[in-house]
Amino acid sequence: MNQWLDDRLHLSRLNDKFLRKAFPVHHSFFLGEITLFSLIVLIITGILLALAYEPSNSMVLNSFDPGTADKPNMLPAAYHSTLKINAMPFGDMLRRIHHWMANIMIAAAVLHMMRIYFTGAFKKPREINWWIGMLLLIFAGLTAVTGYILPYDNYAYSTVKVIYAITASVPWVGDWLAQAAFAGRFPGDGIIPRIYGYHIMLLPGILLALTGAHMLIMIKQKHTQPQYAKRLAYKKIVGVPLMTQQTPIMLLLALLFTGLVVLFAAFIPVHPIEYFGPPSASGVDNIKPDWYLLWVFGALAIIPGFEWEVLGGVINAEFVGAMVFPGIVIGAMFAVPMLDRSKDNQYYAENPTNHPVRLAAGVAFMAMMIVMSVAGYKPELIAGGLLTTQNANTILWILTFLVPAISYFATIGIVRMIRALREADERDSLAHAHADD
Amino acid sequence: MTRYKKQDPEITRRKFINVAMGTGAGVGVLSLVSALGSAKPAFRLTAEKAPPLKGDVLVHADPAKYGQPIKPSELTELAIVAYPMGKAKDGTPVIRSAEPNNQIGVYKFDPAQLKAPTKIEDTDNGIVAYSNTCTHAGCFPKSVQGSAIVNCPCHSGQYEPKEGCRVLGGPPNKPMPQLGVKAQGDQLVLTSSFLTSPYGYKSDEEWEAYLKQAEELLA
Repeated sequence: MNQWLDDRLHLSRLNDKFLRKAFPVHHSFFLGEITLFSLIVLIITGILLALAYEPSNSMVLNSFDPGTADKPNMLPAAYHSTLKINAMPFGDMLRRIHHWMANIMIAAAVLHMMRIYFTGAFKKPREINWWIGMLLLIFAGLTAVTGYILPYDNYAYSTVKVIYAITASVPWVGDWLAQAAFAGRFPGDGIIPRIYGYHIMLLPGILLALTGAHMLIMIKQKHTQPQYAKRLAYKKIVGVPLMTQQTPIMLLLALLFTGLVVLFAAFIPVHPIEYFGPPSASGVDNIKPDWYLLWVFGALAIIPGFEWEVLGGVINAEFVGAMVFPGIVIGAMFAVPMLDRSKDNQYYAENPTNHPVRLAAGVAFMAMMIVMSVAGYKPELIAGGLLTTQNANTILWILTFLVPAISYFATIGIVRMIRALREADERDSLAHAHADD
Repeated sequence: MTRYKKQDPEITRRKFINVAMGTGAGVGVLSLVSALGSAKPAFRLTAEKAPPLKGDVLVHADPAKYGQPIKPSELTELAIVAYPMGKAKDGTPVIRSAEPNNQIGVYKFDPAQLKAPTKIEDTDNGIVAYSNTCTHAGCFPKSVQGSAIVNCPCHSGQYEPKEGCRVLGGPPNKPMPQLGVKAQGDQLVLTSSFLTSPYGYKSDEEWEAYLKQAEELLA
């Protein structure tokens, strides 16, 4: 049978090329795999949810509470079908798993990127995969945001209204762009079918294609090798092969991880659409985006209002806060591999303390993201009495620059200390080694 | 040794393939752009989607009392959210709620408290109406904690309705526009649409042109 298959599919070649791929033995190398497993679970739960979801914002009679003949209780079909999904056996659970998996996918992707950044794994020849990874992060975010809107409750309605406003704030072409992207003036009759198309077809298609490219390039270029591999066998690939050693580890990890998320989903509810209700004239108090977009939200909250007219186009605070500023941040992340000009290929993961400036810059960057995310809680900070309406912006702006600066110099200081201790250790052991002779 | 000399073809294969690929890409991009053009549906103005117009009656937007006319006696310092109710061509009443930015906040203050830039001539004995759509990202602000100041939950925009809804804090860069309002019997009637450009319009001229167009279409 093996022979028969081999004659047709050249299994031995596949085995040599792909199935024997060596995986480094270090737990930090599992972060990318966790991201991949989350994507698979997201696709499976997403397909199941799509089977019961009705992508339409036309009004239908609420089958749970039809109202009376002269005052029928009408709801948007999308919201109504989400209520029905919640009423299905394990329907709410399905939504929760999908939701938490999406959050964990982005978290794992961010941690995976941090591992790549701090160990210098983005250096030549892996720059292309860093860029593909950035695209994956951007499209994962867009997929999450469109998924957010599909239940079409009051929260989703406010969210999509803000996203529409951000799209429309692009100078010159904003109105056209927003109407083309969201099927007409907000809320167009076709807004939910349009976003449904993005969320279940366009964006997952892009994500899958990019993931495929990401992994093929990784197999071609091989993982960076952990430091122990250098001592073990210099310039040789060290690790366990995909078949048959890494596969059971991966399966075990995937099942354990999925089990944990299911357990998590069983106890922690998501976004209660019944509480927010269908789209209505009343806004939602304390509306916040998911944690990975909170920094943009924070930037919008502290940026003062302004408007410049340039050649007939309007450049306003919204455009700068929600498009230009994140563009700069993402652009900086894209540019990371360009900072390294070495001509040699990178084989080994670097010790972050050997690269204090890179380490400190990364820490400062994250500190800035955290401060801006905290700025997203400005109304709560004011209501809690920590800040006042008058001083909130000033203080948050100062913190936005001060905290990263402190983090930068603190990191450099700590690294120096670690290195000094390490060198002292080395001198010590060297001195003792001589004494022993 | 052969005396045969190879003749250069008029066009090399490389050149042919490059031109073919270039043309293919060009046609592809053009067709994609034309397909994208169809992504934006046409906008048809109906009475439900029309902006608030002079003569409209203000009705409750709150789902509990949706569609009931707001009585002057119900008004307080805290915003009551309203939609304008006009008439369709056949004379049936139409609530203009298909355009969410038509939301209007209605307040009643002590007339002495109302200060410029509020347009006093468009208020009626302390009753004043403003757009209730934040001029920053189009969220719906509300009065919180019993204070007359309205707060936008999205990015912390704050407005002072006693002073022409001027911006007190946060990212909005212009006030929410005022509307002319008058109490007529037990109802509140609009004496004008938004006096300056509301959320979604880049300038007053653009807004006035649209308002004029809407008035003509629905007349």
